Amino acid sequence: MSIAVIRFPGTNNEDDVLKALGKIPDANPYLVPSRKGLAGLKDADAVVIPGGFSYGDYLRAGAVASVEVIVEGIRDLAEDGKPVLGICNGFQILAEMGLLPGVLLPNDSSRFICKWIYLKVCETNSIFSENLENAVLRLPIAHAEGNYFCSREQLEALRDEQRIPFRYCDSHGETSTESNPNGSLENIAGVTNQRGNVLGLMPHPERASRQILGSSDGLLILENFVRAIK
Amino acid sequence: MMDLIYEGKVKKVYQDPKSPERVIIEFTDLVTAGDGEKKEEIMGKGKLTSELTKYLLGYLEGKGIDTHFVKAHDEKQILCRKVEIYPVEVVCRNIAAGSFCRRYGLEKGKVLEEPLVEFFVKDDGLHDPLITQSGIVSLGLVSEEVLQFMKSVTLSVNYYLSELLQQRNLSLVDFKLEFGRTDAGHIVLADELSGDTMRVWDTNSESLDKDVFREDRGEIIEVYAKLIESLKESKPEEVEDRQEIIQVIVMPKKGIKNPPGEVTKKALVRLGFGVADDVRVGKLFSVVLKTPLTSEILAQLKLMNIKLLSNPISENSEVNLS
Repeated sequence: MSIAVIRFPGTNNEDDVLKALGKIPDANPYLVPSRKGLAGLKDADAVVIPGGFSYGDYLRAGAVASVEVIVEGIRDLAEDGKPVLGICNGFQILAEMGLLPGVLLPNDSSRFICKWIYLKVCETNSIFSENLENAVLRLPIAHAEGNYFCSREQLEALRDEQRIPFRYCDSHGETSTESNPNGSLENIAGVTNQRGNVLGLMPHPERASRQILGSSDGLLILENFVRAIK
Repeated sequence: MMDLIYEGKVKKVYQDPKSPERVIIEFTDLVTAGDGEKKEEIMGKGKLTSELTKYLLGYLEGKGIDTHFVKAHDEKQILCRKVEIYPVEVVCRNIAAGSFCRRYGLEKGKVLEEPLVEFFVKDDGLHDPLITQSGIVSLGLVSEEVLQFMKSVTLSVNYYLSELLQQRNLSLVDFKLEFGRTDAGHIVLADELSGDTMRVWDTNSESLDKDVFREDRGEIIEVYAKLIESLKESKPEEVEDRQEIIQVIVMPKKGIKNPPGEVTKKALVRLGFGVADDVRVGKLFSVVLKTPLTSEILAQLKLMNIKLLSNPISENSEVNLS
């Protein structure tokens, strides 16, 4: 299971992702600097785009990275049905690529938010959330632009097609305005593509992959991701 | 026999029998001045205007300006792309002369602080009156975008013509342009460019243009021939490219939260500027072009907006040519 972990200039969560994935049996994560282009994805069975500040978040978070050559390779893999996970800045890149609908706007508080939140698993038909019925997971977020926004039509499609596996909630699993950290539409923390093999997620599962870090709930999402690789 | 599709004071436009998208423009030997009050037929004049137009439009094409000129046809005729002419004439002035002096009571020869672009309604019955930019847009003669486009190209033409003439110690005083729209929707420089439509002075402020006829100061044939001769000695390749700067403005859409604007507003209020009821922060891109603006480039700029500079889900973008 070769998992390409992409590093754009300014990505800074790649080591955490490599370490967290490295502990999952059969996962073989390896670093791919984006400058390698399409060749860097030659052997990839799956892709993770970790968080950070690709290209300094200039223009818009994820916008510059979303037009790199390697991105066309990620798009091809996604179209082949290979699992693709974008975490935080990775989610922003997937949205800018148009592989996922919507956009991550600046947080409604106007601040960078770094804190632990709870995530409610809302759909379990997704490869990323299966076996996690009604689970409430504890993961950290760290972002300035995590306020998920999309058109009304897109939102309806996401709902109808059960493409919102993760929403922000409180410790009891209640999704309310109070438990929404950044102003995201309907507390959305993650969305998938129509086929279900691409997930964009604002919280950081790799930072919740060991008890000593405060939670290992993120490992459940990463394990699902690895299990989905064929 | 070719079909005559338009006849002006000194020009005839025929349909090119070989292509529906082309026309053949013929320059007659007629010379007119003072809104047609003064009129004379001068042998060989059509050939000279044709030659000047060919040379100058060809030169401008070489510098990247989109014109209707395709190639020479015969000595009095040029082959051009067929266009629908916009009902506005564009005049660019560097030095005060002609009607401009009468209008503002200026002495002929006053060098303007910067090139001035003026617009006139193309209407013989009304004697082509001067009109403001907002007048043009309000009357629906030409859209704001097309107007900005014409102004930008006119300033490019002014630069390239001035530089070329400068090599020959000649000054470009003023000139008139007309623009047209091709079937494909491209805006191109049309009509002619000759001593009939521009004023050119030598170092002694002697005219090499139609003013010699207007003011009975000499033989038009001689000065036109002199102008062509002089231009043929110029070196177009030595005229440096002019940079064109286009602004692209991106703003968050209405209803989209704008934290940078909110914090800026708070800070303004703290400083006592309660007058700022709302502030929204957007982005301004300054795109530098190495070539003059063309319809093709304008289309690319719009595409740039959608593909990268803005996110159409949450932002509006606009290309500002002025």
